[in-house]
Amino acid sequence: MEQNLNNSLYIIDLGEINTAQEIIFQLSSDLDKEEAKNKRICLKLGNVDLNQAQLLSIKSLINGIDSTLSTVDTKSVETEKTAISLGIIVSNVSAENSTEVVPAMPYKSVEDLKENGSQNEEEKYSIVEDPDIVESDNENNVTEENIQTVGNDQYSSASENTNETYVSVDEVQHTDEETIQNAEGQNVEVKEENVINVDTIIKETDNFKTETVSEKDDVQDELDVIFGSNPVQSSIFEMKDTEEQKYEEREELSEIVVPEQEYTKEDFELEAFPTKYIKQTIRSGQVINYEGNIVIIGDCHPGSEITAFGDITVWGILSGIAHAGAGGNQKARVRALKMNAIQLRIANCYSRRPDSLNTVYIEKTNSFTPEEARIVNNEIVVFKIND
Amino acid sequence: MAGRVIVITSGKGGVGKTTTSANIGTALAKHGHSVVLIDTDIGLRNLDLLLGLENRIVYTLVDVVEERCKLKQALVKDKKNPNLCLLAAAQTRDKTSVSAEQLKKITERLKKDFDFILVDCPAGIEQGFQTAIAGASEAIVVTTPEMSAVRDADRIIGLLEAADGVESYKLLINRVRPNMIKSNDMMSVEDVENILSCQKIGIIPEDTGIITSTNRGEPIVNNEKSLAGRAYMNVARRITGDDVPFLDIDEPKDIVGKLKKFFSGLGKQGKE
Repeated sequence: MEQNLNNSLYIIDLGEINTAQEIIFQLSSDLDKEEAKNKRICLKLGNVDLNQAQLLSIKSLINGIDSTLSTVDTKSVETEKTAISLGIIVSNVSAENSTEVVPAMPYKSVEDLKENGSQNEEEKYSIVEDPDIVESDNENNVTEENIQTVGNDQYSSASENTNETYVSVDEVQHTDEETIQNAEGQNVEVKEENVINVDTIIKETDNFKTETVSEKDDVQDELDVIFGSNPVQSSIFEMKDTEEQKYEEREELSEIVVPEQEYTKEDFELEAFPTKYIKQTIRSGQVINYEGNIVIIGDCHPGSEITAFGDITVWGILSGIAHAGAGGNQKARVRALKMNAIQLRIANCYSRRPDSLNTVYIEKTNSFTPEEARIVNNEIVVFKIND
Repeated sequence: MAGRVIVITSGKGGVGKTTTSANIGTALAKHGHSVVLIDTDIGLRNLDLLLGLENRIVYTLVDVVEERCKLKQALVKDKKNPNLCLLAAAQTRDKTSVSAEQLKKITERLKKDFDFILVDCPAGIEQGFQTAIAGASEAIVVTTPEMSAVRDADRIIGLLEAADGVESYKLLINRVRPNMIKSNDMMSVEDVENILSCQKIGIIPEDTGIITSTNRGEPIVNNEKSLAGRAYMNVARRITGDDVPFLDIDEPKDIVGKLKKFFSGLGKQGKE
């Protein structure tokens, strides 16, 4: 039932199972096997409609054994849509067509690529030269060559016009199918398309992914990211309406946070920042500045301001202004047991409490709803942290 | 035409300077004038709360003075009235952050773009007060019919007369309770006027709606039914030069009182 393609790719064929319950059941027994551990899993599904929650639980099952769900092959349109919305690559996996291995790239390199921006286009390259591909059979070697040359082309074209690489997911799938049809003919041109598209898929998905990479083992975080794609959850904080703020808020923003020095990749690692613990109630008019992470054991009253280069964690009610990542760290987060902040700023993003939440004071009860704010697609989104 | 700079001051705290500023500002904006409200109560700002603009403040008066941003950037536009802008005070600083000359410069610049510049003055007669009145040519002295507030208002009027820029000042009597005046428990409006020998620009009745409106962050002038709201609306019209008769604040609010008034009116008519 299962086939082992190479060291890291592991295909689980559940194509004959027709109900979600049975899939989960079969999958959990498959995942118990030793060879499934620490692999990139390709999931072959039949004509079963899976919703977000079901796909999510599958994903967390796979994550539970230190593997990642890299691709999903499904006959159902519904499942396909769900997988796309969750940022899982959908493709038709088959043992014969080894080019399909390419999509299963580690996310980390993609993240590096994103972090380093356009300067490190070279890295995009090294992703394509994935050792996995080299290790696989002869057919693969041919493709690898193709990919290399393609990579060159792509580098030049991408640097000229990066917008081109942003293709919608639908298009990508279309071309994928083409590739499969032409795979036997070793058509270089089509493969070229394929490689670009693979990058595209990852670019599409890494909007969701970038956040998870650092804490991949944390299933809860994964859940949060996926919930983040749900607009209902993410609308707790509204982005500033440009119509209401005629006075060039954008210009202000660039002035609020101007990273004075160029940060290298290492500097962005939050662990590099020291952490300051403050055990008191921060009252109106009090300002706390720290070039690192701040942890406050207590409440932050309205009118207080907390500015940190790293994360801000409030073990209490946050009602003042919190500015995390003041040095330009886009990955900084703001966490609070109860999020009621009048304004949230992360790096150069800014959001304010919606007017509908115009409560005079927030009740100090023992029931807390822990929340975390972070940047998703250049917007500050507040996620609920469930238990 | 250059805008008018009006400072709203009182000396004593808690008599309703900020409420008056917010409401007169909103009322003037409702009449179609372009208005900017400046909160000079640095460190204890409240004007933004009353207008419900707290979550929109990014830059403050201190940022403008210290040239961290442009003046235009610090102006927060009102949610409902595009004519109304707020220049908020910094919460994390103190009164020494802005000097009289600096505020005067700012009001001079705002005069070009706005019809009215209302300056909300902090309580007291120290530096904050001196800063607030620096750019103003007119003043509204807010007081309540209490001896302490009237004494402080008297002191303030003396300081205003001594100040260079302020050419005229008017009295606004806040939190008037007609019932208490009737039973001789409160100074009447006329008494206050006589003590201070100053012309009044408005009488605002005590209204519980003020508390609700403050908590909601919406000035009471937006509520047409409120007596205090209408009184503030009239003050705004008097500022623009209209001759508006003073509101009959004796109006009973409960149904029984209304009926009583109605019947007593009928009785009088019958006798005549």
